Amino acid sequence: METYFLKNDDLLKFYERIAQEYELYVPVRSRLAYKDECGCKPGFPTDDYFLRKFSQVNKEDIVFSDYRCVEPTRAFFTHYKEEVSAYFEDAPLKEKRERPLALCGIKNCDIFSLKIQDFVFLEGDETDQLYKTRRDGALIISSDCPHFKEVCFCRAFDINPYPLEGFDFNLAPLNNGYLLDVASPRAKSIALSLKSILIPATLGQLSGRAAKRESLDLRLDEHLKQYNIPKKETLQDTVLSGYNSGIWNDEARTCVECNGCVFMCDTCHCFLLADEPSAQNSKRLRLWDGCLFKNFTRVAGGANPLRLRYMRLRNRFLKKFDFFISNLGMQACCGCGRCIDVCPGKIDIRRILRKLYEEKHLPTS
Amino acid sequence: MKKNIYQPVKAVIEEIIEESSTIKTFRLKPEGDFSFSTGQFIELTVPGVGEAPFTPSSDPGVKGSLDLTIMNAGEVTSKLHSLRKGDAVGLRGPYGKGYPLDTFKGKDILIVGGGVGLAPLRSLLFSLFSKINNYNKVVLRYGARSPKDIVYKTSLPDWAKMERVDVLVSVDIGEPAWQGNVGLVTTILGNAPIDFTNAVGIVCGPPIMMKFVTLKLLDIGFKPPDIYLSMEKSMSCGLGKCGHCRLGKYYACKDGPVFTYEQLKDIQGIWD
Repeated sequence: METYFLKNDDLLKFYERIAQEYELYVPVRSRLAYKDECGCKPGFPTDDYFLRKFSQVNKEDIVFSDYRCVEPTRAFFTHYKEEVSAYFEDAPLKEKRERPLALCGIKNCDIFSLKIQDFVFLEGDETDQLYKTRRDGALIISSDCPHFKEVCFCRAFDINPYPLEGFDFNLAPLNNGYLLDVASPRAKSIALSLKSILIPATLGQLSGRAAKRESLDLRLDEHLKQYNIPKKETLQDTVLSGYNSGIWNDEARTCVECNGCVFMCDTCHCFLLADEPSAQNSKRLRLWDGCLFKNFTRVAGGANPLRLRYMRLRNRFLKKFDFFISNLGMQACCGCGRCIDVCPGKIDIRRILRKLYEEKHLPTS
Repeated sequence: MKKNIYQPVKAVIEEIIEESSTIKTFRLKPEGDFSFSTGQFIELTVPGVGEAPFTPSSDPGVKGSLDLTIMNAGEVTSKLHSLRKGDAVGLRGPYGKGYPLDTFKGKDILIVGGGVGLAPLRSLLFSLFSKINNYNKVVLRYGARSPKDIVYKTSLPDWAKMERVDVLVSVDIGEPAWQGNVGLVTTILGNAPIDFTNAVGIVCGPPIMMKFVTLKLLDIGFKPPDIYLSMEKSMSCGLGKCGHCRLGKYYACKDGPVFTYEQLKDIQGIWD
């Protein structure tokens, strides 16, 4: 992998070059007034970032995002609601986007989540062609996190706040610019065309980046101490042995079944195939579904294995920390904290995991 | 470009057989080649309404058509029950793993069905009947709510007459004209003419029935690897992607729907 230095002033040129070939999305900042009273602990950033189309934003609004964006990255690869088939027409659906995606502002938690999405939609004999077209074509321009939100907990699961793989380009802020990692062949060919603004990184710059990364690791670890989140090696045992725990019911009390946690989650993937009638030829839609919805597992006749709310909350954890660990060897949680951010019932995945772990391991008085 | 995994193929309803007041068998003729192994399921599209999963009830050896025996129980099935001969529906599949017939060779096979759960078992029975000499014995124990809820009423006596085949039916609630056994299907399992040391038990029916039949089979000497359960869940995509039919570390649609009890016994909440 080659690493270059890109001056602050040249970042826009880099974006413009990408936008020649790709439909580029870049981070913009959102300052929401209510966030000042959101109950976040002082000292933590409250701004949020969204990804917006480069061609449609004011260039002065483009920022370097300090941490992951609000929307889950998966939203670019499977849309909330989209047509995936028409009846009996032997014509595979084509991606409507004319140019492939380029996503800037992707963080390491998002890259981790894409591994889960890839497993679901690409592995095996049955590939989701729309997902594959988007994913194969997408240029991932990830970046280091210089800060973290109060809800961020990637390091609890040994995921670092800076990517080392899974990207085409990676940007790491340093002094008056960025260190740009160029990883893939297509990124290399873009970099070749940008020779005038890319300066090979010096050893000093590389160690500068390493020092920044180490410092953030330490700060995040210090922040996470209070949450005492179980290590990833213990997650499966923690949720399985807590199957009959009363914690599920206690925690589900404030759940309003909005499924915000599911829809903001970057590793959740469940969907429903629903048919939309029309006079000529009905459409089949693939809609994001959520396991906190009451009818998620209901079958005709009315039987419902997940009929109570606490069962559905437990199911979500079993899927993330039992099913995926058994089938893929990794938990379906990247520690991005989006589910904590969004939950109106203040249900906190860090707290539930800790309580389950403690119930199993700590002596009861 | 590869095939679209969500796309159904067209199938025309060739015949409709009324099994009971709420259950009908639909004989479908799919466009193009369509084959399945016994125990696999398909996703049936009722145009404009949606899809639902069903396991065919016909002999997989019969090419060119397949039967689905379906109870009118939900949105898709109620619309389906209003369709007529000649109407078009859609099919996707087949999906999942069926019954491992090779491992049944030389054994006594106890088949326990409950209600419309006899539908997928009928497909299995046809497969077994077509090579009956491969098996020691086929013993069918079937339970229905009442005599009028019994499916395949005309076939059951014919099956009972076959060599190496033993059939017994029980109903939960009898009627004056009913000559057979009254009681849950578990009450007719104990004295089944089976060599339990060389037998497999195959169960399909509502979850509560499957639970008590499994416990009964364990009680009378079956080992968990020899008990085969048809775990029908809310299977939406059939592809192991949509997440609705998770059963512990498995998806019913991909890893099942036929599982051995050995596979499931350590998973909590399987009968919910």
